[in-house]
Amino acid sequence: MPIIVWQLAFFVGPVLFMVAMSFFLVKNYRMTEAFEFVNWAKMFSKGYFWSSYWHTVWIATISTLCAMCLAFPAAFALAFKASENTRRWAIFFLIIPFFTSYLVRTFSWFVILSESGVVNAILGTVGLGPYTMLNTHIGTLVGYMTLTLPLVVILQTVTMANIDRTLIEAARNLGCKPLAVIWRVILPLSKAGFIIAAVFCFILSFGDFVAPFYLGGSQEPTLPILILDTTKSGQQWPRAAVIAVVMMATLFTLAFTAIAIAYRKRSTS
Amino acid sequence: MTKNLVVFDKIHKSFGNFVAVEEMNFDIKEGEFIAIMGPSGCGKTTTLRMLAGLDAPSSGEILINDQVMNDVKPHERDTPLVWQSLALFPFLTARENVEFGLKMRGVEKAERKKRALNWLDKLGILEFQDRDISTLSGGQKQRVALARSLVMEPKMLLLDEPLSALDAHLVIRMQSVLTQLQKELGITFVYVTHSQSEAFAMADRVVIMSKGEIAQIGSPRDIYREPANQFVAEFVGRNNILSGTVESVEHNRAKLNTPSGDFFVEVKAGQLTERDSASFVISADLVHLSAGEPDSKNTVACQLISEEFVGSMVTLFLENASGHEFKVQMQERELSKLELDLAKPIWLSWSECSAHVLGC
Repeated sequence: MPIIVWQLAFFVGPVLFMVAMSFFLVKNYRMTEAFEFVNWAKMFSKGYFWSSYWHTVWIATISTLCAMCLAFPAAFALAFKASENTRRWAIFFLIIPFFTSYLVRTFSWFVILSESGVVNAILGTVGLGPYTMLNTHIGTLVGYMTLTLPLVVILQTVTMANIDRTLIEAARNLGCKPLAVIWRVILPLSKAGFIIAAVFCFILSFGDFVAPFYLGGSQEPTLPILILDTTKSGQQWPRAAVIAVVMMATLFTLAFTAIAIAYRKRSTS
Repeated sequence: MTKNLVVFDKIHKSFGNFVAVEEMNFDIKEGEFIAIMGPSGCGKTTTLRMLAGLDAPSSGEILINDQVMNDVKPHERDTPLVWQSLALFPFLTARENVEFGLKMRGVEKAERKKRALNWLDKLGILEFQDRDISTLSGGQKQRVALARSLVMEPKMLLLDEPLSALDAHLVIRMQSVLTQLQKELGITFVYVTHSQSEAFAMADRVVIMSKGEIAQIGSPRDIYREPANQFVAEFVGRNNILSGTVESVEHNRAKLNTPSGDFFVEVKAGQLTERDSASFVISADLVHLSAGEPDSKNTVACQLISEEFVGSMVTLFLENASGHEFKVQMQERELSKLELDLAKPIWLSWSECSAHVLGC
């Protein structure tokens, strides 16, 4: 019961307020209560809104694919090759990044990725570069990985560590080659956990403001940057609310569909 | 003379400091039903896993069909295993589970389906072919697991306590399914179990293991009537074991002094000499009961402690004056015919030839 009250007060309440705000009007730089669809019509008619929307969906998808692929070898090794003890320590170390501010971690990439940074200095010794990595999509993706990778590795590791080893041995016993075991047995058994990891990664990337702003140079603005711009220029809070509601609706639909797929029962006809 | 399908040659297996199997030498013949039995931790499952290539022997050689198998990977072997936990793939249907091995072997789709359906039909679960594994009952899952292994048409089927998760009445049913299948297919079954009734009911030969070593190999009858040592005698159960010192040996007859009295046993020439310490065993079903002292040599007076009914059979637990426990097993109707007063002392007796002297 207290949980429900808590949820209502701190989640449902603010969300409803934001939805309501998307119908408000701004007059003389002041927000006034109203119920008008002008903000919605305005945003949906703007080309920059839709290009920003699809760009955000696209880069969050790329981020999710990268994180899932980069995390897999590490998670696989931790789940199947490492001892119980090593795995425990590894998960602990993967939590440590969350002790420091994400902003600080993002800024530390400047030292590494800038044109006079560590990476280019090393490449320079073999006559390559310098390459521009900051203020590009590469920068944005590096930022997203900083945010999501530890979490994705943890989720994948825990998922695969819980797989019944007998099933893997049973597959081997029935003639399944070691590599084929991954997609014949391990991935099907990890479906739910992996989908949840991917959803988390997508949600974090989709809503992240820091990486595209500081490392990506906000050239092609993502929706969070668009929200910032909208509120800064002429106090357009209701229009920003429209963007926020669209983002939430997108994530809600995605999460709902993904979870439904993850736990879908096979037909039992 | 049937050919040896499997040869264990000085097999030794240890996990770190733990020795799972020590110096194991034995053969499995083509087409036999062999049961490997022992208490948990005796190395029976490790033995089976070494046959499937899931554990590699630390030293020694395993030969299958005269070929050294030590370095052959599990997926390159023809040794399907029926797992204790069944290990069916929960993300596949019953038929897809059965097809799995064929798919791995590259059998073409239509052929795969035909063979899978054939086996599902043979085991009487054709109607469940498209069902999710989680919706099947224990007995149905068991049959899917069997079909999944047998569809591979192996020369040898490995079974690791496959019936341990089933209800008692299903165990009996599956036992006859298994023995019939084995006869029909003529392939070798290697059956690991801790259950004496399963092993004795199905196997041609039983291997008894204890602490990584083979305690005895023989037919169920041999093991039951002539246990090789104290471990087997105790493990096989419902045996009375008496230990003592040999007082004299005359012809094929030895006299033993035990804390429960003096007893005569039949011995082979040279098996025992005077002052040897020796043990002998009398199966619980070979002991006679009487109200008065019988006119024979091997007798003990006992007090009844408890009785246990298993259907028509009854087992009496008795104790003599020196506190040694005796077990007597007989038909319930025979016991009631004796009209014993169970509160009074009861005399136990047995004939000399029923006693079997144990090796050390």
